Amino acid sequence: MAAGYSIVGWNGFKRVYDGMLALGLSLFVLAHFGAGLLSAPAGQHPSEIQLLIRATGAAAFSLLTIILCIGPLARLSPRVLPVLYNRRHLGVACFFTALVHAGLVVLWYHGFSEMNAIISLLTSNPRYASFGGFPFESLGVLALLILFVMAATSHDFWNHVLGPRLWKWIHMSVYAAYGLLVAHVMLGAVQGETGLAQAALAGGSALLVTGLHVVAGRLEWARDRTTDLPPEGEDWLDAGPAEAIPNGRAVILVPPAGERIAVFREGAKIYAVANACRHQGGPLGEGRILDGCIVCPWHGFQYRPEDGCSPPPFTEKIPTYRTRVTGGRVFVEPVPQPPGTPMAPSMAGEAG
Amino acid sequence: MAEEPFFVGWSPELAKPTRRFLLTAGAGLAVGVGAVGLGLGAAAPHPGPGLWDQGKKVAVTGTIYPGPYPHLLTEDLGDGLRTVLLVGAGKDRVTVRPALTFTGAAVTGTLIERGEHAMMAVDGVYPDPAPGRVLPGPEKDLGDAVMTGEILDAKCWFGAMRPGHGKTHKACAALCATGGLPLAFCETGRCSDGKAALLLLNERGQAFGREILPLVADPVMVRGRIFEVAGLRQVRMKLSDIVRL
Ligand code: HEM
Ligand code: FES
Repeated sequence: MAAGYSIVGWNGFKRVYDGMLALGLSLFVLAHFGAGLLSAPAGQHPSEIQLLIRATGAAAFSLLTIILCIGPLARLSPRVLPVLYNRRHLGVACFFTALVHAGLVVLWYHGFSEMNAIISLLTSNPRYASFGGFPFESLGVLALLILFVMAATSHDFWNHVLGPRLWKWIHMSVYAAYGLLVAHVMLGAVQGETGLAQAALAGGSALLVTGLHVVAGRLEWARDRTTDLPPEGEDWLDAGPAEAIPNGRAVILVPPAGERIAVFREGAKIYAVANACRHQGGPLGEGRILDGCIVCPWHGFQYRPEDGCSPPPFTEKIPTYRTRVTGGRVFVEPVPQPPGTPMAPSMAGEAG
Repeated sequence: MAEEPFFVGWSPELAKPTRRFLLTAGAGLAVGVGAVGLGLGAAAPHPGPGLWDQGKKVAVTGTIYPGPYPHLLTEDLGDGLRTVLLVGAGKDRVTVRPALTFTGAAVTGTLIERGEHAMMAVDGVYPDPAPGRVLPGPEKDLGDAVMTGEILDAKCWFGAMRPGHGKTHKACAALCATGGLPLAFCETGRCSDGKAALLLLNERGQAFGREILPLVADPVMVRGRIFEVAGLRQVRMKLSDIVRL
């Protein structure tokens, strides 16, 4: 959170996480490279550099596929949340792996010549008007630029400087990058003699990512639909019986207009705050109240339920909402108060 | 209902069931990742027997002819009279001083060989009267042919890059063609072959100019006439007889 930044706030979990990431990446590249070297008849294997180009490209693409699966998987099962916690490290590793891939391509395919390698990269196949003959390299260049901007702004420092909206917008462009990369593989490696494996990789991965997003999106949609709309003539939202909210947890309301609202119960006290975390928009309503603070399930940002402020020394703030309890039912006024506005809890007498 | 564990990233605690899930998932992922890597790697194309041993310097004697591409006719390499195409160290042509052509010469450099085809990345050319003037012998006319395949730069294809054909290699082939390296034609499905090289020339038996560039490394159908000169086959055609597929 925003109180002094270090490059990485290390802890034991992150060390194990990054260790597994490094291990997985090396395993993939080694297996790819080794299989390419050994599966060919003696003395007829592809050039080592070309094997590395392919192995690093496939590794970066596969890593990006895994990264894009984590979001929907964490929606489907909270057990995946620890993987989401450190997703930034995966993204940065993906960028650097892709950078090695691109660097080797530029050196090998576009080097050893008097022509400038970058000019060669963008002009040596001029068939931009063709579909099948399209210079797929340029798609990789665009994707790499997006990955670079994302990796460079991935740190919380930039989230704080740019604001959550712009930051989120920048990081949503990962989907554009992924689309470009599927096309990069389909219009590149897949057009070769052995394109079947690459087609399976790119096509299968794209299907997996799309499928998981559709399933998680439908689940979300079904959850949203169950929120009760306000009764006729009443503009406060009905959040249901107080005792239906598990202690220390929340229900999420979807107002007819505006952002989702998380309604927490802590003992007899009822609080309502914005559901979107100030950090990366994580669903606070799926978090818990621990030690008197709402804890975001994504990266653990904390907010006091009574005023939406992060405990000192942190400075994040989220909007709060008015609540009341009538006949054991909780009602919420769907008007966000300015972030950090103190709001006395409603008391749910009979809940305990 | 038992309380589900709640993960807090910055806390050093990781609930037992979560830890177990993560370790299992991690191990499964490692196996999956290894298997996908192996599968993709094993699907690598087999570029055939082309080889460029850059550590092995050789000297070959014979006679240098500047056209249609600089080449050396020699009897040094066994199998009687052979054509060795001459190229620069990178993606560039080699220029031989006129005084060293059409007469005995020694060429030093490294050999790039694919099957019965040979090429040399040239370090130096020296006068050498010993071989005298090696003559190409009569030209054999092997008749007309219609073929589908790919125009590629002979250096990469002979073994400088393995594989050195196909769309992923197109940009590099265009660079080599721009640099004036010899162009060849290989028939579809035979690009990994050691025999199928055909030097690509215009209908007058000369090298094409830049006009050929847009067609390099694309699938094409060509109609041409095949000749054999000093052990190396050529296909000669008009530009208009090359059709992109
Ligand atoms: C400057 C940017 C890039 C350039 C110039 C580039 C160029 C290339 C080239 C020339 C190939 C064909 C290699 C061969 O078959 O020998 C290739 C393949 C590939 N690239 Fe890229 N690329 C770029 C960025 C990326 C990025 C960012 C990714 C993924 C994150 C990526 C993933 C792949 C994959 C998966 C393949 C197929 C590998 C295979 O044959 O199995 N590329 N790229
Ligand atoms: S989204 Fe990162 S902590 Fe809430």
